[in-house]
Amino acid sequence: MMFVLRMAVRETRASLRRLFFFFICIAVGVAAIVALRSVIQSVRGVFGSEAKSLIAADVLISTNREWTPDARATIDRRLADAGMAERTETIETPTMVRPADRAKVVAKMTELRAVQPRFPLYGSIELQGSQTYSPALLAGHGVLVRPELLTAIDVAVGDEIVIGQAAFTIRGVIVREPGRGMGEFSLGPRVIIAYEDLASTGLLGFGSRARRAMLVKMPEERVEPLVKLLREDFKDDFINTRSFRSTEDQVGRDFDRAENYLSLVGLIIVILGGIAVSSVTRVFILQKIRSIAVLKCLGARSGQIIAVYILQVMTLGLAGSLLGVAMARGVLASIPWMLGSSTSILAQAHYGVSWSASIQGIAIGVLVSLLFSVVPLLHVRFIKPSLLLRDESVRRARDWAGMAVIAVVSLALVALTAWQAASFKVGIVVCLGFAGLAVVLHLAGRALVALIAPMANSRSFPLRHAVLHLSRPGNQTRVILLAVGLGAFFIVGVRSLQASLLDEFSLQVAANAPDMFLLDIQKGQADGVRAFLGDPAHGAGDYQLIPVLRARVVGVAGSETNLEGADEVRQKGASIGREFTITYRDHLEQNERVIQGAFWNSPAADAEVSVEKMIADRARLHVGDTMRFDVLGRIISARVTSIRDVEWRESRNGGFVFVFRPGVLDQAPQTFVTPLKGPEGLAARARFQHDLVERFPNVSIIDFHEVLDTIRDVMSKVTLAITVVGGLVLFSGGLILIGAVAMTKFQRVYEAAVFKTLGANTRTIARMLLLEYGVLGSLAGLIGSLGAIGLTWGVSRYALEIPWRLFAGEHIGGVLLTALLVAVIGVVSSLDVLRNKPLATLRAE
Amino acid sequence: MIELRDVSKTVMSGSEPLTILHPLSIQIPHGEFVAIVGPSGSGKSTLLGLIAGLDAPSSGSVLIDDVDITKLGEDELAKLRGEKVGFVFQFFHLIPSLTAYENVAVPMEIAGVADARPRAERLLEEVGLTGRAHHYPSQLSGGEQQRVALARALANNPKIVLADEPTGNLDTANGRHIMDLLRTIHAGRGTTLVLVTHDAELAAMADARLVLRDGRVVESTLPLHPPVAATPTTASMADARVRPHEAS
Repeated sequence: MMFVLRMAVRETRASLRRLFFFFICIAVGVAAIVALRSVIQSVRGVFGSEAKSLIAADVLISTNREWTPDARATIDRRLADAGMAERTETIETPTMVRPADRAKVVAKMTELRAVQPRFPLYGSIELQGSQTYSPALLAGHGVLVRPELLTAIDVAVGDEIVIGQAAFTIRGVIVREPGRGMGEFSLGPRVIIAYEDLASTGLLGFGSRARRAMLVKMPEERVEPLVKLLREDFKDDFINTRSFRSTEDQVGRDFDRAENYLSLVGLIIVILGGIAVSSVTRVFILQKIRSIAVLKCLGARSGQIIAVYILQVMTLGLAGSLLGVAMARGVLASIPWMLGSSTSILAQAHYGVSWSASIQGIAIGVLVSLLFSVVPLLHVRFIKPSLLLRDESVRRARDWAGMAVIAVVSLALVALTAWQAASFKVGIVVCLGFAGLAVVLHLAGRALVALIAPMANSRSFPLRHAVLHLSRPGNQTRVILLAVGLGAFFIVGVRSLQASLLDEFSLQVAANAPDMFLLDIQKGQADGVRAFLGDPAHGAGDYQLIPVLRARVVGVAGSETNLEGADEVRQKGASIGREFTITYRDHLEQNERVIQGAFWNSPAADAEVSVEKMIADRARLHVGDTMRFDVLGRIISARVTSIRDVEWRESRNGGFVFVFRPGVLDQAPQTFVTPLKGPEGLAARARFQHDLVERFPNVSIIDFHEVLDTIRDVMSKVTLAITVVGGLVLFSGGLILIGAVAMTKFQRVYEAAVFKTLGANTRTIARMLLLEYGVLGSLAGLIGSLGAIGLTWGVSRYALEIPWRLFAGEHIGGVLLTALLVAVIGVVSSLDVLRNKPLATLRAE
Repeated sequence: MIELRDVSKTVMSGSEPLTILHPLSIQIPHGEFVAIVGPSGSGKSTLLGLIAGLDAPSSGSVLIDDVDITKLGEDELAKLRGEKVGFVFQFFHLIPSLTAYENVAVPMEIAGVADARPRAERLLEEVGLTGRAHHYPSQLSGGEQQRVALARALANNPKIVLADEPTGNLDTANGRHIMDLLRTIHAGRGTTLVLVTHDAELAAMADARLVLRDGRVVESTLPLHPPVAATPTTASMADARVRPHEAS
């Protein structure tokens, strides 16, 4: 044992420089794991400590209908029984806001929240500057707004804005408010007014999309029983009850998923490091063959020698992991600096490396080092001491023990991945995926190397030898292709996906497609809106007023599905348990196709409904079934007479799951929505919105150009995040490359010396190296790029369902940059090959 | 005592079998100094490797102190080498990542010897390298490296020292120094010394000689089984002890 320990120390001392990259590869991977996990844990800490202010209450009861007297009575009774301490009500609704100053012809969609004086029950509304929130700020038509609104409609604190039919004075700027999630998609900036002022806006008319909420503060131990009771009370109504705890649980699950997903990304980087470790170990053992033979000659057993190197590998793995933890600490320490004065909830987290993340990172670093080096280390068993007497190649028989070790190592890797992803299934899938990807990259690498093999007959001496080097014995071509190719694959893939998505959205907004959407047009306003849109002065293109109603399925009597009551539909009705927006019309839209039954072309007194195919499949609905709908309290039984296939990508005019035959719903209370082609030009669009809202204050306008900007913004953030991951992978690839060059340098130095002796000058050798790495880089880039084409094709077709497009620029740029990167790294890390004097090198051999 | 019974060695040269050592039986009594001589490719080093258990014979058996080492596994062989056999190579074969002292200490550490450090220091002193103990092989001259290798071969006080052309890579002065050391060791410790050499002068110092050519024994002063066919050279070999300079 002492021998093993002592030799491990000596060997580590001697090969520290050579194994430095081993060390760095592991460090980068571990840093990624520890940093990603710690960030998530830190952010989660903020949410954990503020779970109550997430919903600003202990219990939140909400509905998108008006509170009925019955519902209020039930709630009052339950709350009194539960010993409620405090309660307050809010109403939220999307609405248009414009400056009161008529000279400013703009309008902007916002999310209005009307609050009572006691709001919020937990947390606080933070305002810009030194201002503190008090309900008095809202009294007498005061309003608090988010800073984005100020710039969007060119107003300042003190100015007046018009909401619906009433004017409000801006009294402060909101930095943060409780009860608003972190990444929630919003239609516009938040605007807060007093509850009692809401009526004056006239926004609560029929069909408004207002969401009313009761926020309750109460003893914590009674929260869950109350939630349970209320859920039971309102199981057939559109009333939703949740506690801060269920919100916390949901957020917790989201965080668990994020943490596990990101750790998996980190693990992939570590595994790349592991592949580097495996290759470094392989070359290392090849270089150590004589020393190992000598040790055997001196009486050392194979097991002892393997133990020496395993100990060495684990020491380096541990040191690399510790360095990785230090690197993660550095990264986390710089986060507050990077966030700067950001007001997001992310800026409130206290970022630090957690113990659990550090320990996991270190464990993974050491384990991966061990797992990936043990197989190449087994080669030690085949080294015979007799090779000291005569040169003989090491011959290997069929190695059952080796195969058993490979099996154990594979199982351990699956277990490691499953542990990190917190799911056995994910562990298997990721490992198989990674193995598959590695095999594909490996095969692609071989094919490409074979493809360029004829270049070995080139007349150019440097090119000939550059190509030959790629397949020299003990070459690192495969490993470099795998690592660098994988990095290029991530980056090029993600970038072309982003380009593809943006392109798709731009296409949808372009040309004559509708690019504006009017909501909440009251029945009485329909003619007025038609006249407004028809007036050429306003510059609107094609438009169509579509009647919409809200309905819920409360029963199905069919050949396959039979459901009775809203509750049963919600529990067993697959995807039909939610509330739907329905319409009625006598024609099919361009993006619709009947695939079963027949569509009507005239009104009828009996209710008939056409169901969208996907929903019909999922809920197993067929032509001839009878469905019962609750349309604003009225129950309508409708026969399913057709199933429609809807092309959702072009659904601006017809994205409805349930379309009714005209006749039954015509007289029901309803509102209209209008997709239309808005005027050209920013100013014209702003004026259009302003004028429309001035005339019809309750109508909301969604401008797709703005939505596109938002999407572009969100996507660039997502892309940045994934590019950073890809960059890390590429960085690891670069390290592996440097390591591989360093490991095989002894070969090159010798070859270069022979070439120099035979008359090659330094420039020729430099050109040879440049070409070798240039070719290698191009191949890696090509592999990554080809992989990215596969990835974007698959994701476009199956996940995003958008047509696949090739972005040649991204791919060509990716290949060229990878080639350049690899060439530069390769040549720079081989500089001493160029500098070495041939005689000294040849003597040393 | 070392005993070889019908030992032969055949290797594959490409796809053809090539016999590098034809069946041979010899006995080397304990404490004997034997020189194995012959031209390049005659099978000298192979024979030495078989005696050390570095290599397995294609047929026959090798007995060291009545233990048939051809029946031992790799690990048992390693143990046997560590305890009973010291080896000196033509190309020294020191471990480049270890200092002179560490190279000498390694066999003792493998064997789990408690006082490895003082013993290694004493051995280096014995070969005249006290001041060079903490130098790496690359910092030592060829002669110094071979002396370290010699000290290493003696580390576990082996009964047998096998030397494969130990002076082959050295200049004359260093070569002589090494030979003097080997003889001193043989005489002082009573070690069995088997020396492979090209050099007739060195071979002449031995108690007994074995001459190989093309994998066959052509001359021997050792008990052979079967005896080498009587040839004029065999007869002249019988006088080798008295007329060493004619042996080449």
